[in-house]
Amino acid sequence: MIQKQGFPISLVFPPQGHFTQPYLALPCLKGWLRAHGFDDVELVDANIEAYDAFLTREYLEGCRARVAQRLPLERFAGVRKLGFEDLAAFRAAAECSASGAALAARVDEAKSVLRGGAFYEAERYVPAVRTIYHALRLVSAAHFPSELTPHNFTMRYGNDRSAEVLAATRDEEENPFLPFLRAQVLPRLVARRPKVLGMSIIYGSQLVPALTLGRLVKEALPDCHVTAGGGFLAYIGRKLMGAPGIDAVLDSLIFHEGEAPLLALCSALQEGRGLEGVSSLTWFDRSGSSAVAVENGAGHPIRLDAAPAPDFGGLPMHLYLSPEIVIPYDVNRGCYYGECTFCTLPTVIGPGYRTRSAKTIVDHVLKLRDALGTSHVNFITDCMPPGLLRELPDELIARHAGIRWWADARVEPKAYSEEGCARLVESGCRKLLFGFETATPRILKMMKKGQSLKSVLDVARNCSQAGISVTFYAMVGFPSETSEEAQATVDFLVANSDVVREVSLQTFHIDEESHVFKTPAEFGVRIRSDPTADLQLYHDYEAETGMTQGQAAEMFESMMAALRAHFPLFSGDNIFWFMQKSHYFLHLARGTSPDEFVSRCRRRADRRRQAGADPALIAGADLAVVALPFSWAEAVAGLATPAARAARPDFLTGRFVADAEAAAAAGTRPLERAERALVYCGETAEFAEVRSDGARVLAALQRAGGLGELIAGLPAAARENVERFAGELARRGILLPREEARPTVRGAR
Amino acid sequence: MKTPDKNDTQKPDARPSKRPEAKTREERGTEPAVPELDFASLDLRVEVVEERISPGETNVFDK
Repeated sequence: MIQKQGFPISLVFPPQGHFTQPYLALPCLKGWLRAHGFDDVELVDANIEAYDAFLTREYLEGCRARVAQRLPLERFAGVRKLGFEDLAAFRAAAECSASGAALAARVDEAKSVLRGGAFYEAERYVPAVRTIYHALRLVSAAHFPSELTPHNFTMRYGNDRSAEVLAATRDEEENPFLPFLRAQVLPRLVARRPKVLGMSIIYGSQLVPALTLGRLVKEALPDCHVTAGGGFLAYIGRKLMGAPGIDAVLDSLIFHEGEAPLLALCSALQEGRGLEGVSSLTWFDRSGSSAVAVENGAGHPIRLDAAPAPDFGGLPMHLYLSPEIVIPYDVNRGCYYGECTFCTLPTVIGPGYRTRSAKTIVDHVLKLRDALGTSHVNFITDCMPPGLLRELPDELIARHAGIRWWADARVEPKAYSEEGCARLVESGCRKLLFGFETATPRILKMMKKGQSLKSVLDVARNCSQAGISVTFYAMVGFPSETSEEAQATVDFLVANSDVVREVSLQTFHIDEESHVFKTPAEFGVRIRSDPTADLQLYHDYEAETGMTQGQAAEMFESMMAALRAHFPLFSGDNIFWFMQKSHYFLHLARGTSPDEFVSRCRRRADRRRQAGADPALIAGADLAVVALPFSWAEAVAGLATPAARAARPDFLTGRFVADAEAAAAAGTRPLERAERALVYCGETAEFAEVRSDGARVLAALQRAGGLGELIAGLPAAARENVERFAGELARRGILLPREEARPTVRGAR
Repeated sequence: MKTPDKNDTQKPDARPSKRPEAKTREERGTEPAVPELDFASLDLRVEVVEERISPGETNVFDK
């Protein structure tokens, strides 16, 4: 092998993605490059670095100061009515006023809880996650109207318009990643002077931050070749490379599987060759007066079983917000089934289905287990193939791998027999996620799922009885689906909530790779396109029969409400375990059975419901009460309607729906002035709204020292009124039993 | 564009305020532990908001 020294390469995972575990693609690329002689490859997880930097006391104090300047609550003091266009700003101002001090004081501790043993204590975990969520609201408010959550990042700019995307990369006020990348990531890159910067963009939420970094690097390091790849670019890459101004932030783009093209790109650059011969690459030819995008032909996929183990070396494992790392590892690429008419995921990796052998998988898993010091694995696959479901458990058991793992799967009745499930559990399988989609056979047929309800249920029951936690993916709004059919799906799920622990419910979307987009008449839909959106990937549609898109969005709310009412893991704040990737799995991996976990969730919900006006109730050390000129609860409710949500770019598409803002404004009654107070408890990270009378009672309770002291000697009617109030606040986590109050280490300011 | 209504005078307790710092027993001195409030007639309703879960926020299906 020819050693290719003196050619530094930096591979960056840009914000925004999950914060619970590392992403796989870049370690795969690093392993491949190193195996082919490029020994100076650096991995940078700018996503987890950004979350870690934002979720600090110092940063949040800065955000508080910015919010006080940009979104002062006083702005609303003289306003008579609050229209839809001001709801989000009012909500942000109110919440930051009430929670900002406690969040800044408690955020570092919250990260420690998620990274340490306290993670496994529900009463520590849930407030910590809430604190993280609210802290990100504070970060968002400081960059209003941008929104950063644990799962998404959106700005006022649409992801489907290149001019807006490029404008976002320059927005010093509203793009929180611009100053972060400039101050925290760029100096290291400038010091290192990589010859190639490669970025993996798998989510739409990464597009602006990635191109922001691309711009910074191209300005600071003109000789560094900036390239990007990843699932999201597999969809929009061609349009992106054809858009004006993109040559200022990128030099090339790799389509589909990255190993072979990136190696060829690095080799060509090192050897000073042109890029014409690099397969699956679109690059800017800058030899003329202006840059011209050149699209090379597609290359062949690699032989996956011969690929080396992913190399996670250099990733900041201590920063992920989990107590133990769950290693992502890809067992195959592509989908062995590949028929589902709604699914375009297999297209992002490129043509061809390939799998690693069970022996290779276990070789690599054992190597990673020992190198990373964790025995938890997330097998990455579109769905686990039946052959591997037999061979992999055997290999893991025979070699005493001692791992715990979870994966996506397809309903294959033979593979998930009672005996097969027992082997899976013995091999360490603790959770499987199946594409259930719908309880309507007619829709299943249109989807070409190739499964019956009976087979789905048989597989789920066998898994559940063996001790494997089952998650179902479900969908609402597939073309022609009626609301009655969607209700039947909910009813089916609720009826089987003894074997299905979690449901990942999605609304149907049409992207340009889908069967529905390519043959709309077959599905009875008319596709709507926006000619002004040059990066458009997702399309609205009009259905000839069944629910409209708007009705499907309404139905989603109804379905989610039913799931939250009937699934213990979804009840109240138990849903946080489901929402943070791998967090529920970590409990299963530690030995908690799905039944035990469900019982814990039930007990938590019951305990909260049954809380009453215990005389030992006190206000926490940093309880904050902020007087408001409008109702916060009404503002939040106004922002939660489907019409209002359509005015913001959604998670999946990252785009703005035409006229949605105006429609939401027209359909939302302005809020009347109201004397309210927003209450925030730092210990539980809970908000509640009270009347001004309630604020006075809370102040009295704080002065008295506790509920018992406050109500001592009160007449019966007064006592009853206060106790009812205190009981409600206890159930909402605002008042705490004296023994549960947990002051911050340094105290809130 | 909205303009503040000059006639809509702001009530003192409508301004953002910080929670009064808890006083020590000594500081409280002889002030009554419970202020003079007619607790029986106070409006003590509590509004809470169940945080909605968006489709995307439940998406664990990423590659």
